[in-house]
Amino acid sequence: MGICLGLLLTVSAHRPATAQQPPPDSACRLCHTDTDETLALPDGEELSLGIDPTIIDASVHGGHSPEIGCTDCHRPHEEYLYPHTAAQPESRTAFLAKVAESCSSCHLPADQHNPGHLGVLDNSNIPNCVDCHGGHDATSAASMAADPVGTCLNCHQEFGDPQSVQVHEEFAHTLDKDKNCTTCHNDQAISPNQKCESCHTLLQSEKTLASGETLSLHLDLAELAESVHGLHLINTDGGAPLKCADCHVDMERYGFPHPESNVMDLRELQLGMQNICGDCHEDIYRQQLTSVHGKAQAYGTMVAASCVDCHGSHDVENPSVPREKISQTCGNCHSTINDQYEHSVHGAALLGEQNPDVPVCTDCHGVHDIGDPRTAEFRLSSPEMCGKCHADKELMEKYDISTNVFDSYVSDFHGTTVALFEEQSPHEETNKAVCYDCHGVHDILPATDENSHIIRANLLVTCRQCHPDAGDNFPDAWMSHFEPSLEHNTLVFFVDWFYRLLIPGVMAGFSLFIGADIYRTVRNRYSRKKGEKTDDIE
Amino acid sequence: MTSSSDAGRPDVQNAKRQADAAKRAAKKGIEEEAEPHATRKRYHRFDRIQRLEHAALLISFTVLSVTGLPQKYPDSWWGKGMLAAMGGIEMTRVIHHSAAVLLIAASIFHLLALGYRLWVQRAPATMMPGWRDVQDAIATLSYDFGKRKLPPLMGHYNFGEKIEYWAVIWGTVIMVLTGFVLWNPILVTKYLPGQFVPASKAAHGGEALLAVLSIITWHFYNVHLKHFNRSIFTGRISGELMEEEHGRELEEIEDNTRKQPNPSTRRRTIYVPIATVVGLLMLATVYFFLTYEDTAITTVPRQDVEIYVPAEATETP
Repeated sequence: MGICLGLLLTVSAHRPATAQQPPPDSACRLCHTDTDETLALPDGEELSLGIDPTIIDASVHGGHSPEIGCTDCHRPHEEYLYPHTAAQPESRTAFLAKVAESCSSCHLPADQHNPGHLGVLDNSNIPNCVDCHGGHDATSAASMAADPVGTCLNCHQEFGDPQSVQVHEEFAHTLDKDKNCTTCHNDQAISPNQKCESCHTLLQSEKTLASGETLSLHLDLAELAESVHGLHLINTDGGAPLKCADCHVDMERYGFPHPESNVMDLRELQLGMQNICGDCHEDIYRQQLTSVHGKAQAYGTMVAASCVDCHGSHDVENPSVPREKISQTCGNCHSTINDQYEHSVHGAALLGEQNPDVPVCTDCHGVHDIGDPRTAEFRLSSPEMCGKCHADKELMEKYDISTNVFDSYVSDFHGTTVALFEEQSPHEETNKAVCYDCHGVHDILPATDENSHIIRANLLVTCRQCHPDAGDNFPDAWMSHFEPSLEHNTLVFFVDWFYRLLIPGVMAGFSLFIGADIYRTVRNRYSRKKGEKTDDIE
Repeated sequence: MTSSSDAGRPDVQNAKRQADAAKRAAKKGIEEEAEPHATRKRYHRFDRIQRLEHAALLISFTVLSVTGLPQKYPDSWWGKGMLAAMGGIEMTRVIHHSAAVLLIAASIFHLLALGYRLWVQRAPATMMPGWRDVQDAIATLSYDFGKRKLPPLMGHYNFGEKIEYWAVIWGTVIMVLTGFVLWNPILVTKYLPGQFVPASKAAHGGEALLAVLSIITWHFYNVHLKHFNRSIFTGRISGELMEEEHGRELEEIEDNTRKQPNPSTRRRTIYVPIATVVGLLMLATVYFFLTYEDTAITTVPRQDVEIYVPAEATETP
């Protein structure tokens, strides 16, 4: 098909103006239209030599102004002059690849625009321009956008990796114009973080672990962004929010494609994260390990709280704002205790009036260094713990509560013993009552409440916890935190005063006799000496 | 009243000595030490029983004071130091209680010995205070301040010793009663108002302080500082001290007008078995009460509380 006079004006700004005009398309079309001839390629494939000009005309390049000619794509045009001198391509693919190289004379080169493939540019199988956009039938970007998935499906009919299959199957039917392959597989080089996000933001399904428990695969980016590891880091340090792999560091487990999981249950997964938190939060992590929870875990009690149990995982937020959150967090595991606390004088004030003064769980038990409250140490130091607030005059004034409670406790039999034990043998148990033995542990009620352990009507029952034989009068043996006075503990008041007068009285009497005797003894000795001297003189 | 001139020994041992009556009569009623060259006259003052009683009192009182005062002042540095040195507060209490038992036993013994002395031996009740003691006290002060030429001549027990004896009686009664209340608060409050317990604690502490201060002032001055009087350990007293502190007794001895005991074998036969039984019964009572109360000192087992009770999980949407 001889006369190829194709001289083509193209849109390309890059194209150098050539002195020699290429043959017009009509020349090419003379031969290549309506022919069934094929060119046998060395690999055995056949390259069809016939073209359908209507297809070209209907393509995005057809009717383009300025006109786009055959040799704008089949380059260099010298080789396509007739008789053709172009070397015979090795294969059809190689031929198309060569054609595709021409695209960059007008469009972005393939190493800048190859949605979804830029991360794997070194792979020889990645598609070129023609593979997606077509050759003679090059489609418009708009028409590709109308069915973006269809384009991809030309090649990606099957995804070999089962995890990819799961992902694509799960949301393939939800894809549309705004959410399609290029939403994830776009022109940007994909970061490791985006790799994670691209699947897990879309996944809504759950993974079933060996234990039968399920693990949601969905990732809420907004949740992450609002967490302390997102917003907080941006706001305070101007730093970058944490990346997935900052916490999910174990690439053997979290690398893609994810290997077959050997995690037995959800708990194992959660406990595994604890060490990761310690990478940044070293001191807190160390405290946690020696806390009652950490020790319980070490002894195999896997339900004992780990970092994520209290703080959450992706949604980590300030754990003490609002303050009520603290007791609710503890209540997740210690629900019956929290129920008691919520009805106590402290808990009711916290939940009812957002009182900032009342203790929450962590005020008594500690935060990350939570000790075992069953130890002698905890028990012996507990009065001082209560005293931190109850001996604070300024604080107690607000509620009209006496601050004498601590001193009056310590000066009584129970308190004296406990205070001495705490100072001299803090690891030894003593059975003497501490504050919470009488007032209640988590169910402390005001001293005016009819259900309080320590109002007079209930006091005997309270005493009998330790002294089962106690009779009706026994509770009065305790001075109820009152100093002896005319109103309270009158008998004690009088006894105190009796000795306050008797002791000095007796001492004064003794001193009188002793003083007088010393006086006389000294006088006698003095006068005897004097007398002897006088005798001598006489 | 035996006809033999006794050497002022108001106890039963005198009977044994009656054989030496003539010998002692030759010594004008004054008992001299056996040493042939002794120049200093010494008089019998305390028998073995009395010395033993004093020793028991000395030991129990000292231990009670040393273990008790730091309990009264547990906030003080010295109180804490003493408690720690004695093995902690609980050990101190055990020692204190043990010494208290010794004191109570000594008190019971004293009561029985006193009964023997007064009823079996019909010994004069030389410890009874009287108007004479008030006069002696005033006379002593008058002498000290130069209003009187000579100090008063005083009897077997002078007013200062009587004060001390009765103070010990009073103090022991108070301490034993209040100590009993503190030891058995549950038993006591079955019959007495609860306030007796803290009141007893106050009285126990106040009385203890009074007792210790009295010993340090009155007792130490009179028998350690003024003279180092060893008679409660040796049983004998020097003539000088006898003259100075018990002048009237010395006169009585010399004049042979001293009231003598009048022991009776019949009364003794009656008294000893009864006193033995009563004494043992009293000791048994003490033992019963001191071990009566369990729950004031033993630990009631703790209740178990379920710690891990997860809140019911709300379904995740």
